[in-house]
Amino acid sequence: MKWLALIPLLSVCAMAQMRTVALPGKTPVVTLRLVFTTGAAQDPADKPGLARLTAEMLSGGGTKDLTYKQVVDQLFPMAANVGSQVDQEMTVFSGATHIDNLDAYYKLFRAMLLEPGWREEDFKRLKDNAINSLKVGLRGNNDEELGKEVLLSELYKGTPYGHYSVGTVSALEKMTLDDVKQFYKQHYAQSNLIVGIAGGYTPEFLDRIKKDFATLPAKDAAPMAAIHPPAIDHTRAIIVEKNTRSVAYSFGFPIDVKRGDPDYPALLVMQSYFGQHRDSGGVLFQHIREIRGINYGDYAYIEYFPRGGQLMEPPQNVARSSQAFQIWIRPAETPQAAFTLRLAVYELNKLIKNGIPQADFDRTKEFLTKYVNVLTKTKRAELGYAIDSAYYGIPNYNSYIKDALAKLTRDQVNAAIRKHLRTDRMVIAAVSAKADDLKKQIIGTGPSTIEYNSPKPAEILAEDKIVGSFDIGLRAEDVKIVPVDSVFQ
Amino acid sequence: MLCWSMTARLILIFLAAAVVYAADPPQKTFPFSYTQEDLPNGLRLVTIPTDSPNIVSVYIVVQTGSRNEVELGKTGFAHLFEHMMFRGTEKYPPAKYDEMLKRAGAASNASTSNDLTVFHTTFSKEDLPQILDMEADRFENLKYSLEAFKTESGAVLGEYNKNSANPGQKMEEVLQDTAFDRHTYKHTTMGFLKDIQDMPNQYDYSIKFFDRYYRPEYATIIVTGDVDPKAVRPLVDKTFGGWKRGSYHADIPVEPKQQGPREAHVDWPSPTLPMITIAYKGPAYTDANKETAALDVFSTLVFGQNSELYQKLIVREQKLDSLGANSPASVDPDLFTIRARLKHVEDMAEIRQEILDTVKRFQDELVPDDKLDAVKKRERYGFTMRLDNADTVAQTVAEYVALKRTPDTIDKLYTQYAALTPEDIREAARKYLIDSGRTIVTLTGAAK
Repeated sequence: MKWLALIPLLSVCAMAQMRTVALPGKTPVVTLRLVFTTGAAQDPADKPGLARLTAEMLSGGGTKDLTYKQVVDQLFPMAANVGSQVDQEMTVFSGATHIDNLDAYYKLFRAMLLEPGWREEDFKRLKDNAINSLKVGLRGNNDEELGKEVLLSELYKGTPYGHYSVGTVSALEKMTLDDVKQFYKQHYAQSNLIVGIAGGYTPEFLDRIKKDFATLPAKDAAPMAAIHPPAIDHTRAIIVEKNTRSVAYSFGFPIDVKRGDPDYPALLVMQSYFGQHRDSGGVLFQHIREIRGINYGDYAYIEYFPRGGQLMEPPQNVARSSQAFQIWIRPAETPQAAFTLRLAVYELNKLIKNGIPQADFDRTKEFLTKYVNVLTKTKRAELGYAIDSAYYGIPNYNSYIKDALAKLTRDQVNAAIRKHLRTDRMVIAAVSAKADDLKKQIIGTGPSTIEYNSPKPAEILAEDKIVGSFDIGLRAEDVKIVPVDSVFQ
Repeated sequence: MLCWSMTARLILIFLAAAVVYAADPPQKTFPFSYTQEDLPNGLRLVTIPTDSPNIVSVYIVVQTGSRNEVELGKTGFAHLFEHMMFRGTEKYPPAKYDEMLKRAGAASNASTSNDLTVFHTTFSKEDLPQILDMEADRFENLKYSLEAFKTESGAVLGEYNKNSANPGQKMEEVLQDTAFDRHTYKHTTMGFLKDIQDMPNQYDYSIKFFDRYYRPEYATIIVTGDVDPKAVRPLVDKTFGGWKRGSYHADIPVEPKQQGPREAHVDWPSPTLPMITIAYKGPAYTDANKETAALDVFSTLVFGQNSELYQKLIVREQKLDSLGANSPASVDPDLFTIRARLKHVEDMAEIRQEILDTVKRFQDELVPDDKLDAVKKRERYGFTMRLDNADTVAQTVAEYVALKRTPDTIDKLYTQYAALTPEDIREAARKYLIDSGRTIVTLTGAAK
């Protein structure tokens, strides 16, 4: 019922002014989620990371009247905070409070977003944090996320998506408080704002939020440019060289399908069958981990999915107008790393050639039809999905998926696989020690080998021979090696 | 014979029924009513209806973690079993198990810590009988080949590898190894790398491990969401009722009293920010006195985001980019740890001294009443707000079940929180945060 009310509201208000996604309920917790459709894609070319640092200044700094310490002191007894998340096209400010504290919490939330303190000491602290998150959090400690972000930066090189949302070390070092203020002034506009709220609030409270945020400028000074990912002529690889025990991979290519497009449900079924995130049933997981014991897990994606190492379910409000198909191979021991890459591409090739079997199609459809309930099991998640639905212009995500799946046929899935997936013209990102050795092993037809600690069935050993020589289309001249210190520098 | 066993069974069921009750302790922080029932075989069932339309979560807690790994060279086996439990049975081989989970639209996973292994599944309510049948079958009848065992040990090594780029993992390994001499908290839940690498050779031991610990007396089933306790119990009787009680009791070594401060240093081979962990031997988890609650409040008041030290070192002087403390909540006495990450290695000595001085200071001074009240409020709101869906309710209860095997402990613990005075907090700090029980681990990265 609530969606019947919401859809006309969204269609009337879309683009011109602030939008609202409201999910009233009986819970004593009120969840606020204010999403601006601005983000790293609107970073000036010489200031990657500016959108994120701007959001950090609002959520992690003081207000006009309160220092950051005073903000923290006031939030502390409420066990509440104001978090921010910045992706290419969305900037999210979120938090939740017990209804007892709603008024006090909202006063802080409002002041942080509408009356920021812009203090130099907050700026310095948050800028340092951003630089350290690149140098240590990503380059130092997280080979898997590093590989994924390197892949995406390569796929979108030369477009507004061509840099990681946290930015680069050198650009952050030069960034000033004035840059941040300027970004805020230009892009924090009513036309970009989706006000999301869920829980036990009153209609008057929602009116109050809308009235407060109506003080923002009406329109974005420089709206988001359309994203046209560059064509990939032939498969190429980038190996990030660092001192590490094992080899992490991500590879893929942009696809012309996003939520709401006709082939989205078909590719969603493909994604689930081939590599449902953190699930043991996917084809990649089965063939790489379950049968061969190579690594911890292997998954496929048709939408941006950051922090996959921590999250069991997809994050919300990282919606993008351009998406990429990606395969994530968790770290494999160096001696079998080349084989592992060939195996993943070999499985992708099999998927494209053979499609999804009927029984798997039926099972996956049944899974997804129910799994959407699990995805939206909290008010917070339900709200996040509803905001994304507003962005993509689709109905409630649950009913969108259930309705689409009910009509979907196996032929449609296989046609979508053949249309949108491929094994040539890919970009492969690897994070590895001894990059030259890896390069030699992944070009041409190998052969790459694997040794097991226990006997394997004859059919697996026979398949391994084929996999070991499977040509993934990489030529020596298309493999670039970069030292880790130069990445996002 | 048949008659006798049926009679015996009826008596046992009657006795078990006597312990069924709807908990209603005096001060309620845990906002849900629940039932707690013991089956004749020793399995415990906790059912908690929550407002989660159509969704059910099943968490099966096995009170076995790395704490139970008592034999030399056999660390990491509790965690290995978290993996092996997905290797199937005759009735539900892995492919069929996966297929059934898929048909239920389930989100399913497992995790291991020092005190527990927990298997959890969240799904649509109509699939509860099927899920319980599958779970009971694997807990009772898990069967895997030598080949499957060796293959899965590769996945465990893969898990170690994916964590190994993070110096935090190494810090934990060195901290536990340095701080403990005899108790099994000496090793992390992942286990020592050499033991993980040796796992493929330990098939026979793995079967022994399963036989010891995957028994009903070690297990508690937590069912939350859109459920009726009256309907859940017969389903659990039917599916888990035949599971045989075991007889093994692990002889967990008692840690001797630490006699003086200890130190260790990690040279990390790549560039990274320097880190310091200062740890003290703390108490075991308890809801019977104020110690657990007092140290938890101490960790928040003295090292939390609005503490003086945090504000000084992170917000004003900006010498650290992270600071925090964790109070122990384990079955046996565990570490109270303070962790900091520095921006510049030359500040290491000063930061170390500053943290030590702060600990000492609060052994003399009393925390202000208003600050203590703020923490109490925060604890209560934080706890309540976390319980916003069937999954997190079950997850939260599982953490406490690992410790005391009952959700009753939650309200008992929060009663202790509510009664805390500034003197209680000072007393806990004086008792546990002492030099002779201290271990300091530092880590510095390679120069560029």
